Amino acid sequence: MTGTDTAPAIAVEGLWQVFGPNARAALTEARADGAGTAATLKARGLIPAVREASFEVASGELFVIMGLSGSGKSTLVRCISRLIEPTAGAVRINGEDILTASDKRLIEMRRDTLGMVFQHFGLFPHMSVADNVAFPLKMKGEGKAARRARALEVLNLVGLEGREDAFPRELSGGQRQRVGIARSLAVNPDIWFLDEPFSALDPLIRRQLQDEFLSIQSNLQKSIVFITHDIAEALKLADRIAIMRDGEIVQIGTPTQIVLNPVDDYVREFTRDVPRGRHMTLDEVMEPVGETTPAGDWPELRTGMNLETALTLCAASFEAVPVQDGDGKVVGVVHPESFVRALGGEHG
Amino acid sequence: MSLSRGSIAALMSLTVLVLCLLLAPIAPWLVKWPAALTVPMTEWVGAGMSAFLALFKPLARGFSWAMSYPMNAAGYVLGQSPWPLVIGLVTAIGWVLGGLRMALLGAAGLGFVLLSGYWHQSMNTLALVVVSVPLAMIMGLAIGILAFEVPRLRGAVQAVLDVMQTVPTFAYLTPLLVLFGFGPVVGLIASAIYAAPPMARNVLLGLERVDAEIREAAVMSGGTRRQQLFLVEIPAAATQIMVGVNQCLMAALSMVIIAAVIGGFDDIGWEVLLTMRKAQFGPAFLAGLVIVVFAILIDRMSAKLAEPRQRHDRRVSWGILLLGGLMSVVFFSQDPATFGAFDSLAEAVDRGVGRFTANHGATLDGIKNGAMFYGLLPLRIGLDDAVLPFTWGFKWTAVHSAIVYGVAGLLAVFLVLRGRVTAGIVAMIVAGILVTGISQLPWPFVLVGVGAIGWISGGWKLSRLCVILLVLIGVSGLWERALLSLYLSGASVFACAVVGGALGLWGALSKTAWAVLRPVCDILQTIPLFVFLIPVLMFFQIGEFSAFLAICMYAVVPMIRYTRHGLVTTPPDLIEAAESAGATRMQILREVRAPYAAPTILLGLNQTILYAFAMLVIAALIGTTGLGQSIYLALGQADVGLGLTAGAAMAILALVADRLVQGFAEERRRALGL
Repeated sequence: MTGTDTAPAIAVEGLWQVFGPNARAALTEARADGAGTAATLKARGLIPAVREASFEVASGELFVIMGLSGSGKSTLVRCISRLIEPTAGAVRINGEDILTASDKRLIEMRRDTLGMVFQHFGLFPHMSVADNVAFPLKMKGEGKAARRARALEVLNLVGLEGREDAFPRELSGGQRQRVGIARSLAVNPDIWFLDEPFSALDPLIRRQLQDEFLSIQSNLQKSIVFITHDIAEALKLADRIAIMRDGEIVQIGTPTQIVLNPVDDYVREFTRDVPRGRHMTLDEVMEPVGETTPAGDWPELRTGMNLETALTLCAASFEAVPVQDGDGKVVGVVHPESFVRALGGEHG
Repeated sequence: MSLSRGSIAALMSLTVLVLCLLLAPIAPWLVKWPAALTVPMTEWVGAGMSAFLALFKPLARGFSWAMSYPMNAAGYVLGQSPWPLVIGLVTAIGWVLGGLRMALLGAAGLGFVLLSGYWHQSMNTLALVVVSVPLAMIMGLAIGILAFEVPRLRGAVQAVLDVMQTVPTFAYLTPLLVLFGFGPVVGLIASAIYAAPPMARNVLLGLERVDAEIREAAVMSGGTRRQQLFLVEIPAAATQIMVGVNQCLMAALSMVIIAAVIGGFDDIGWEVLLTMRKAQFGPAFLAGLVIVVFAILIDRMSAKLAEPRQRHDRRVSWGILLLGGLMSVVFFSQDPATFGAFDSLAEAVDRGVGRFTANHGATLDGIKNGAMFYGLLPLRIGLDDAVLPFTWGFKWTAVHSAIVYGVAGLLAVFLVLRGRVTAGIVAMIVAGILVTGISQLPWPFVLVGVGAIGWISGGWKLSRLCVILLVLIGVSGLWERALLSLYLSGASVFACAVVGGALGLWGALSKTAWAVLRPVCDILQTIPLFVFLIPVLMFFQIGEFSAFLAICMYAVVPMIRYTRHGLVTTPPDLIEAAESAGATRMQILREVRAPYAAPTILLGLNQTILYAFAMLVIAALIGTTGLGQSIYLALGQADVGLGLTAGAAMAILALVADRLVQGFAEERRRALGL
């Protein structure tokens, strides 16, 4: 092990994945050309699926990679886990270069350090739920009883107690992904890859699993690379987000940075429908205290509070306003607070 | 006016045909493949193979000797086991695989075999299957895994599998005979060779179809390559592999029975052959039924392997076995050969058939002669030779030819004026073929015609391939025989396409019709090739018409199935779109279903062609001319050269037909964006 305690959990540097014949040589040549490496490659009929990706994931960080289909995000995570061999660049897991690791070392790392969840679950159809979950343990050579005990433990964690002897075909989509999550956690890995884990599920189940995922993560504190095409999911889960387009990472930032300071129109287009009030906090809009502190009965605003909540509190201090019909006759009253609630939806 | 590709190709073919026919009187070498253009290919192959085989003979004989042990053991165990125990065992296996239904099927099937009095012969056949199938499965599994693990080999392996399956079985019986000597081991090895490809194909297909994420999940779990393969990928592909096991079993059974023509061991295929030769149709029919029963048993039970497993209580199986054991003690001295419950039935069938053929002989002969004189013969030697005063009532003269050409010409002009240039030219070509006869077509025309079809179907590359392969046949000196085979298979395929297409259409239109057709198709597809000869022989004796019927019976099934499948699987939204546009049922059929089904129907035609070629060789047993006959003769004379060359020629014909039709199907699929 060459890792040190200070190294980031995952460090990706100048990673390229080019598909096509003789990709490596072509990439070297194209880079020597200088400008427009990707364009040169494309002109030669090759597909640069990931271009020059660089980022770090800190220990315990939940790093989300977001992009549309075909943007290279799934390819990127497969490069990091070395399910496919990247064309160029470096990936260090806990300081150790995974791309130069021997086959033996790679298998060791997968048995001890890495876990992965797949979009369509990737469950083994011929194995029971418990056998699926215990499979990585079996690869490690653990005994039957120990495997079963650990499998039950993880199944408990994902809320599947009692279904251990079912077969994947007997489960619902949500339950299947719980099995997938349980299996990826069986060996208690430090690094957790999730490739669009909730995309194949219907919206209600998706939200439920997102919440459970967050609660599992708050206990386990894994270092996570999470792939999604859903900006709402990214904003909800991420510590930091990387946005990909055409194989390139165009922006990396916290959810707030992405919403407030999109680097270009592409990112802005993504975040257009995001209710900003929910992602901006007072800290970002408040001004320094001037000569005089405003007097009177102010609502209880605190730093870190999001704008929606703050607005609701502020609106609450107003009186109700009358509403008139076409003839000027007062037909009702409305509290400003109701506006905010109505516009902010359930979170208001 | 610019011509389409099809028109150009048709025009070229027509020109060559006309030129050849006009020049034929002064240049006869334009019709018959000139002897100067042949080489003694059969001798060369014979000499080469003999040297090659001699090299491996000791090894082969050693292998033969080694294999005789498991075979004798299997034969001994099956032959000496008390019959109640064997029935009990099969019933018990049936229960485990498919519950009550399969158990009953097993008991009833073997019960029939027992009562037929052919128990010993059946057990001998079964012993061959029992030994050859594991051999074939191991070979198939190894080949499949190898092809999957080493993608560079995949193309080569596929080609080898194609050859293993298209070269007619009789063809490689001859070298095997030389190599391994007379005896059951030849049948064993032939059936293993024949049965391994479907296994290998399905293993490869299954492994390729394993979901990428399942594969990746195994990798990320830290499995080694071997662990991934054996713990995850192969089990995940189990369903497809079990389809392979099913096909492997059926192929092995079919081949074991065909291999009976070598003779030398007392199995059920030999029994059929023997009784058939003695014209004892009753016993032949009965023995044929036994084979069919075996085929159905093996097929239905092994098909259960590929279905999601239901759990059946094993204790029931043990109970059945125990019962079988007890019965064995009770019936210990009862020799299964003494059962002959159906002997009187067989005799009745014999008598019945005898009486029927005697009473309706005139009608049967009428059918046979009608088909021969007015259908098959003109196709083979052309109207100009087939129309004779004693059959047609007049002598064909140049005037008649002129009339036919004139009518075709008018039709062609009419079609061309309607804008259908290609159809017009093709009408002329068809008239030419009808008058000349397939077996007397000028060889330059055949080459140019096939080349032209290849060009439309798959471009220059395919065209070149087909022409080169056909030239190979000509150079080998087998041209005439190849044309004879082409004529018989062509006639059968045409009949199958018309009848099968109509039946498929009927099955697509009416649920009731399909309820009737489907089990018939199932049975026809389960029956080993050989058995088809029995019923046609019963009524029409040896001859080309019988062969034609046998080929049609076997080859019509895919046409029916694919036609119906293509027509009923049109996506519902297309139908709804047509309905909401106000289309009637017939309009939907013509405008939506039929075009959509075209690629599928073409695939069915492709299968039908391959089936027809496979059966053509078997039908040589009851009298056909052409390559099939050569292969069969070679077997009798242990002539390796002739057997292999004729077999290769047959495989070439099948391959060319296959590629041409596939090309068209592919083109249709692309046009539909499928």
